[in-house]
Amino acid sequence: MTDRLWHVTFSIYRKKADQPPFYQDFSLEVDPDEYVLDGIERIWAFHDRSLTFRHACHHSTCGACGMLVNGVEKLTCITPIREVTKDGGKIRVEPLRNFPILSDLVVDMSEFYLRMEQAHALQVVPVAQSTLPYESLRFPDDGLPHERLNDCIECGMCVSACPIALTAANYQGPAALAAAQQTYSLTSEKSLLALVDCADGVWRCHSGFECTAVCPSNVDPAWRIMELRRQVIRHRIKRIFRQDG
Amino acid sequence: MMNNQPTPGKALRWFDPRHRQPGTWAFILNRITALGLTLYLALHLIMLGKLAQGPEAYDSFIALAKTPWVKFGELLVISAGLIHGLNGIRIALTSFGIGVTVQRQLFWSFLTLALIGSAIFGYFMFFVH
Amino acid sequence: MIRMIQTKAHAIIIGAGFTGCALAYDLARRGLAVTVLDRGEIASGTSGRTHGLLHSGARYCVNDQESAVECIQENMILRKIAHQCIEYNGGFFVALNEQDLAYGPRFEVGAQQCGIEIDAIAPQKARQLEPNLNPDVLAVYHVPDGVFDPLRLALAFAASARFFGAEFLPYHEVENFLTNGQGAVSGIKFWNRLTNSRSELTADLVVNATGAWAGVILKKIGASVVVTPTPGIMVAYDCRLVNRVINRLNEPGDGDILIPQRRMVVIGTTSYEAEEVDYIPVEKEQAIQMNRDAITLVPRVATCKQRGVYMSARPLIGKGEAGRSLARTFKCFDHRETDGIEGLVTITGGKATTCRLMAEKTADLVCQKLGISAVCETAGEPLRSYREYYQPSGANR
Repeated sequence: MTDRLWHVTFSIYRKKADQPPFYQDFSLEVDPDEYVLDGIERIWAFHDRSLTFRHACHHSTCGACGMLVNGVEKLTCITPIREVTKDGGKIRVEPLRNFPILSDLVVDMSEFYLRMEQAHALQVVPVAQSTLPYESLRFPDDGLPHERLNDCIECGMCVSACPIALTAANYQGPAALAAAQQTYSLTSEKSLLALVDCADGVWRCHSGFECTAVCPSNVDPAWRIMELRRQVIRHRIKRIFRQDG
Repeated sequence: MMNNQPTPGKALRWFDPRHRQPGTWAFILNRITALGLTLYLALHLIMLGKLAQGPEAYDSFIALAKTPWVKFGELLVISAGLIHGLNGIRIALTSFGIGVTVQRQLFWSFLTLALIGSAIFGYFMFFVH
Repeated sequence: MIRMIQTKAHAIIIGAGFTGCALAYDLARRGLAVTVLDRGEIASGTSGRTHGLLHSGARYCVNDQESAVECIQENMILRKIAHQCIEYNGGFFVALNEQDLAYGPRFEVGAQQCGIEIDAIAPQKARQLEPNLNPDVLAVYHVPDGVFDPLRLALAFAASARFFGAEFLPYHEVENFLTNGQGAVSGIKFWNRLTNSRSELTADLVVNATGAWAGVILKKIGASVVVTPTPGIMVAYDCRLVNRVINRLNEPGDGDILIPQRRMVVIGTTSYEAEEVDYIPVEKEQAIQMNRDAITLVPRVATCKQRGVYMSARPLIGKGEAGRSLARTFKCFDHRETDGIEGLVTITGGKATTCRLMAEKTADLVCQKLGISAVCETAGEPLRSYREYYQPSGANR
């Protein structure tokens, strides 16, 4: 923890209505242990009240503040400034990729949420079944049926980082596919397999693995997509031999 | 509001490796080597077509094939084949859930193997015959 | 802004936090046309940054029993209607020294008086249930606490409000009020920050649900309420060390609540008054103190990395010396009575756990003023899925 303040230039993407986009620079004095979102908030509060951006919880539970920071998807509320720049450096902030831009750093998440709903994504899951099968992490377990809010905070960063989501508008996307895999594992709901077993679903992924790299919340969408493929194939094979539809 | 939408035209952006991790580099390499191998295949077929024209065409082709820049091109083709093939194995494995959590290590291992293989072929192509 | 001809009474709500969203749901269900404006996104003010504790009320059962009773009743309701965003694993009140122990008997009596079901648990047993609890714990009570996701709770109310026809306009900052010839409020003037354009909207009644900013926005029309923005700090750590909320058994104080949430634990909070809360800088000394408090309750927090730190400004009614002595209950103000201004109502104070009840009381007042006889129906039915908030109009009917 340092007491010395850094001079950092925030270069913020601006766009309103049909006007052409541009980058607006703001010079700030920041504590390097502060978070990128703190800087953006100060810009709104003290420099430009027309700046629009999303934020709510400030501690990675709501997923609202995902943005591109120096070209990489980051959850700005938990990204310390020292992680992305140095004293005298620049922080370029842009809205997430692959979502329509509403204004400045705010993007339209309606399609994303529709897909999460179609995938029957769960927000509350049993604690004992809430980690990935390969994780060695264990939460306190007293044998009682505790539940917790799910890992996926629906921030959309995985979709922003995905090369297929860049070019294919109908791709269901890593978040929805990961959600379908988890829900299927917990509920065995066959209709989810039918949902993802298509050209725009689980077979559209081309193994970029960016989704897992940028996820701030231990979802590992890439692993879940591959696992979902196995589940789909298992189900198909069973159908051939048992004809149980 | 109709901006920033996914479109096929954005595919050129796939080839920008900045700020991305090894999974994307493998993705880019796979596509570049695929294009390269396809181009090579086309050239190869054209060349075969020319050979069907008779012995003089064959002799002039062999003379061309021994020039250093063609040899280098062929080395690139071998590299491309190794990279594409080995990364293809990595993708096949991960697509069926094998090694997903170590995909980066797989990438580096296979890339290393491909480069070693290229070096061996290069040695034989340039220094042995 | 195009307005369809309204046959329904139209209410504007300023503020899309818990209160504004829950009120929009209640009024829309009662048949009003509702428009909610917020200068930011849903829950981007105090509500989004709330600690996330679904109070059992036990915290207030000795010194603020009115609050405690409200909490336990609303706790039971929200458990049912907002299950989609609540971790409901209960909580512990733990005694770590003699003063804590001395509070125990009053705590038991208070809980019983307020109708809060508590259970004394042997410390040994408590440590089996929560192995990361401070091993020196002397006494433990189980309480029906829960944890919720702040944004999703607000969105669930907002989605339900939209289902009944309410319209939400985030990034629309109210700049002034419109008044008619008789000095009554007839609407608002707003700045659409998405398009950087300005316009007006008329209504039969305007509700000021801006929480900690309730006093600020009323200055524009010369009205006032005494609400004191009272910030506090929260620190989140990257490890889920407990499944239950851990509270300190004593009078409400600083740093005495640790909640689990997803894969984190969050310690809170402090309390001090502030004038200006558009931006509240993080007080580093408070963060350090919170760290100590967290480690006191759950020593293993010392091995965890800080994931986030943030401030949130509660709206406390009235002005006082210390934040803790102000009531945490809420109050509706009819500005015809307080300032001689018709057509304007303010609702402020309260806490997240009681947002539905705050909305009910406010909606009762609004309907009474507009001559609408409709009863509250928000307690009985589960809220719509919070994801529906994001669907374009007409898509969720």
